[in-house]
Amino acid sequence: MSDLLTCVGLERSFGDLKAVQGVSFSVAVGETYGLLGPNGAGKTTCISMIAGLLDPDAGEVTVAGQAMGPRASAAKNDVGLVPQELAIYPDLSARENLDFFARLYGLDTARRKRRVDEVLEVIGLTDRAGDRAGTYSGGMKRRLNIGIGMLHEPKLLILDEPTVGVDPQSRNAILESVETLATDGMGVLYTTHYMEEAERLCDRIGIIDQGTLVAEGTRRELVGMIGEQDVVRLKTVGDVQAAEAACAVVEGVSSTDVEEDTVVCLVDEAAPRLPALLAAVGATDADVSGVEVREPDIEDVFLHLTGKALRD
Amino acid sequence: MMGALRTVVQISRVELLRFLRERSNVFFVFVLPLALVVFIGLQFGGGMGTQLGAVAADDDAAASELVDRLDTAEGIEVVPIDDEDELRSLVSRGNLSGGVLIPDGYEDALRSGATFEIGFLGRPDATAQSLRTVVDAVVADQAAITGAASLAADATDQSVADLIDLAAQVREGMPGVTVSTEAVGGDELAQEFSALGQFDLGASSQLFLFVFLTSLASSAALIQTRQFGVATRMLSTPTRLPVILAGLAGGRFVVALFQALYIIVVTALGFGVDWGDPLATSVLVLLFCLVSTGAAMVLGSVFRNDSQASGAGVGLGLVLAVLGGSMIPLELFPAGMLVVARFTPHAWANTAMAEIVRRDGGIADVVMELTVLAGFAVVLLGVATFLLRRALTR
Repeated sequence: MSDLLTCVGLERSFGDLKAVQGVSFSVAVGETYGLLGPNGAGKTTCISMIAGLLDPDAGEVTVAGQAMGPRASAAKNDVGLVPQELAIYPDLSARENLDFFARLYGLDTARRKRRVDEVLEVIGLTDRAGDRAGTYSGGMKRRLNIGIGMLHEPKLLILDEPTVGVDPQSRNAILESVETLATDGMGVLYTTHYMEEAERLCDRIGIIDQGTLVAEGTRRELVGMIGEQDVVRLKTVGDVQAAEAACAVVEGVSSTDVEEDTVVCLVDEAAPRLPALLAAVGATDADVSGVEVREPDIEDVFLHLTGKALRD
Repeated sequence: MMGALRTVVQISRVELLRFLRERSNVFFVFVLPLALVVFIGLQFGGGMGTQLGAVAADDDAAASELVDRLDTAEGIEVVPIDDEDELRSLVSRGNLSGGVLIPDGYEDALRSGATFEIGFLGRPDATAQSLRTVVDAVVADQAAITGAASLAADATDQSVADLIDLAAQVREGMPGVTVSTEAVGGDELAQEFSALGQFDLGASSQLFLFVFLTSLASSAALIQTRQFGVATRMLSTPTRLPVILAGLAGGRFVVALFQALYIIVVTALGFGVDWGDPLATSVLVLLFCLVSTGAAMVLGSVFRNDSQASGAGVGLGLVLAVLGGSMIPLELFPAGMLVVARFTPHAWANTAMAEIVRRDGGIADVVMELTVLAGFAVVLLGVATFLLRRALTR
């Protein structure tokens, strides 16, 4: 597959803060690429440079062979942006919002009318097209936000955390829409800090932390990075931090984290290590109230690579 | 080029639409300006300084005739008053410019040639003195007819009553001598205002106040466009930044122009307000709308939330209106305040409008004022463009 989006050595600072440092990746035609990282990892800054909102301090972005930047009108025609915030006018209807942005994308009258109707159908707002967006539910607003991004049939659709603050039902509808777009041949760049979304939607995933792309690959490739390790989850009663500290020094444990009252350990093999882990916790002010052993997932990969959980 | 212009118009159209859909704006844009024009017109308009109260007996024909003569005098409107106390009260409070007291027995005194005293009440100003002159002249004119009839009666043995009508007819046929009265000095303003229609003063003073105020209020919509992320999203489209900036500025401009046209058209058609030379007024209003646009853009770029901008906008709009003569005519300002006023666009606009409306000025008579307003517009729009560009791209 040929590359639709290419980012090479992207860097961007805000004052002393280095938001993005040497990020390089590419998205092929028809591919869904996930940029996974916790809040503040640099995902939105990367998106801003890819969408031509920001000039990178260093590096370059190419979309469909054209250099992208704030003045790159031609390249912007190939990109549709769905920002994390609801970038819609609440005092205009869905139809008026779509029509307004269709004009900004330079669609001629006939195509504009056709696309507005088509997009309203796709996002399921045809019946409410004339109502002001401010009266919509959160999920409907999110769908309108996405609809604006795909109005002009871009080659690359960028979705920046489109499910933040959305109820489960609407979230599922959004994920289904993205799956449909990908099967239609559109390249999709999807940022999220929800591991399950990245696993469900993305052909490849880039893991970003502190402005740096720490790993990328398919789900299988990423999980393979931590080898044949197991995840042991110890639900505790008492001082969970002390329990984590005790587990961290047990032989065969490569990393630990705390999720509420549970200590999460990555171990080389669960069965022989479990007695030592239970003994370590028992020596602290905490007691183990439950044990779970499972195979690792992307979240565990992130933990392994960065030493912290995605939600941190 | 045409595509960019169409996009500018589209962005401006949406900004106007959004502004008009905000319910609170309906009151401030449509209701309040007209309410104030009407209020000011009813309070101060319509022959301000020329209303003359009259207390006279209904059954006294000569007294009624005198009141009628005063009422037909140019520039004077006679208001019948029931008694002397009420007349004194109204004159002293300034509700009437003056008053005449015609005691009972005026007709008998005239016919008998007896000495009779008519009272005049006035405030200690030149308007009252002018009124007194008019009253003196009308009374003397009436007395002259009776005097002539009395003289003829002595010579012909006919009764005075029979000869009054004859004397009046003779008087009408004789060439008259009129004395024109013009107040000079401190009351030029009263004279100038007295020539205005009832709602003219209120309409012209409220025009600039509300155009500026409404425009500043529209800065809240600009902040919302930034807050909602719509402005950033616009930047992700192929539309160039200068086109977006022009569209957002255009939005403020059409809001200001809409407000101006609304006040001008409705007051002209509904209240008969005279807006003077169309070309001069149009250029003046357009320039003031540009100034207002610049101010609104600065406000919309500097503040981070719409409630901050609304509060600051109303405050700034009212302060500049007060300082710039939109609430009290500049002619009443002390010298020091006039210097301050010249730093406000309102003062220049009000000065130009006074020249156009009150003194039938044309565009050549207000060139300086228009030039200064153009300067205000250039500076404010330049600063606003810089600030908004920075706010959108950082």
